[in-house]
Amino acid sequence: MKKGRIIQFCYRKIIDNASEKQWEKYVFESSYKEFRMQAQLYNQDKKFRTIAEILHHVPAAERLHFLVSPSITGYIQQLKGIVPDVLDNLGKHFLHFEKYRFEIINSDIQDISHHQVAINFFSEPVEWIETIGNYMLITRSHEKADEENRLTHLVELKPFFSIYSLKEEV
Amino acid sequence: MEQSRKKFLKNFFIGAVSVPVLIEACKKDVESNSGSTGSGNTGSGGSGSGSCAVAPTETEGPYPTHSPSSYVRSDIRDDRTGIAMTMNITVKNTNNNCSALAGAIVDVWHCDKDGNYSEYGTGYTNLHFLRGRQTTDANGLVNFTTIFPGWYNGRATHIHVHIFNAAGNSLKITQISFPEGSGSAVVAVNSTAGQAYGYTKGMSGYTYATSDNIFSDDTALVEQASVVGSLSGGYVLTHTINVAA
Repeated sequence: MKKGRIIQFCYRKIIDNASEKQWEKYVFESSYKEFRMQAQLYNQDKKFRTIAEILHHVPAAERLHFLVSPSITGYIQQLKGIVPDVLDNLGKHFLHFEKYRFEIINSDIQDISHHQVAINFFSEPVEWIETIGNYMLITRSHEKADEENRLTHLVELKPFFSIYSLKEEV
Repeated sequence: MEQSRKKFLKNFFIGAVSVPVLIEACKKDVESNSGSTGSGNTGSGGSGSGSCAVAPTETEGPYPTHSPSSYVRSDIRDDRTGIAMTMNITVKNTNNNCSALAGAIVDVWHCDKDGNYSEYGTGYTNLHFLRGRQTTDANGLVNFTTIFPGWYNGRATHIHVHIFNAAGNSLKITQISFPEGSGSAVVAVNSTAGQAYGYTKGMSGYTYATSDNIFSDDTALVEQASVVGSLSGGYVLTHTINVAA
């Protein structure tokens, strides 16, 4: 049998003022509210408006990414471990994540429309068997179609969806 | 190893057409992404972004529900072990004859018994142990269940407190100090007897509040809490903080 490679995907989901789904709007609003609260720790004189300014003048404010992340923990849990948006070629969500990392890309304490965050979802390890055109044929280790055959998924790489780590089987 | 890497890259480039974009996509650097083109639309559009991508073929849902910040909790211990401590913090309003301030949001955070704070480490866990948020009741009071904090180089034992009004605007950012004299909780916890509870640093190299950058000017001990109890029974910290609301 052909030896596969074990990979982890990263899907970087960007959420901003243009996001339309209800889940995204909740994440957008909750993280903005928390950002406004936590940013005051590093902006006590109210001299700065944007996170870029705060980070430039107060290096310790790098902690803001972490400090704001509890505002979205409940919404992450509602995903029940399934990476959103990423579909296989049958149009089904199939990718499970084990870890994620929240970060603030832009924000402005006076203007929510400038708020933009990212959630990086790191997938469980999956086996990459073959590349067919623009698609990767992958399989989850424990999913079987029947006794002899493993269940596979065809997945296309797209912007903001990438391979994060690789281990070659020997 | 190098050979296999080349082989991988070769296969990868044959298989995927938009590699440079993809490599950019998972960088965590803020600056590099803020400048990327069309990031908002592409990312938030998600499944619908590509012109030739399949559309979802599943039943919609589950529907999201509003979820409060996970800071909101009274028991802030998570997985942290140590000597039990209850914190009772009362907030009073100096703009109203120091009467109790109801409805104020109180954030607290402190280090664990070894002197570490929860933060993004090298891993990707999203633990925020020993951090919590409560809203003051009609008596201006909030309670937290936690552990007695340890200490780290250069600082006296302390609790961080950030008080907000109901709208989330900052009213006060301060810290609570602990009594440190003979017979104090700090001395007991960091004694030989405290080692049985995992507090192994002792008092050697400890920075007392009188030498502490934050507390050394607090000669009136406004920032110092009352801390009573025992190693086996745990401690109760009681403190009042005045704010201008």
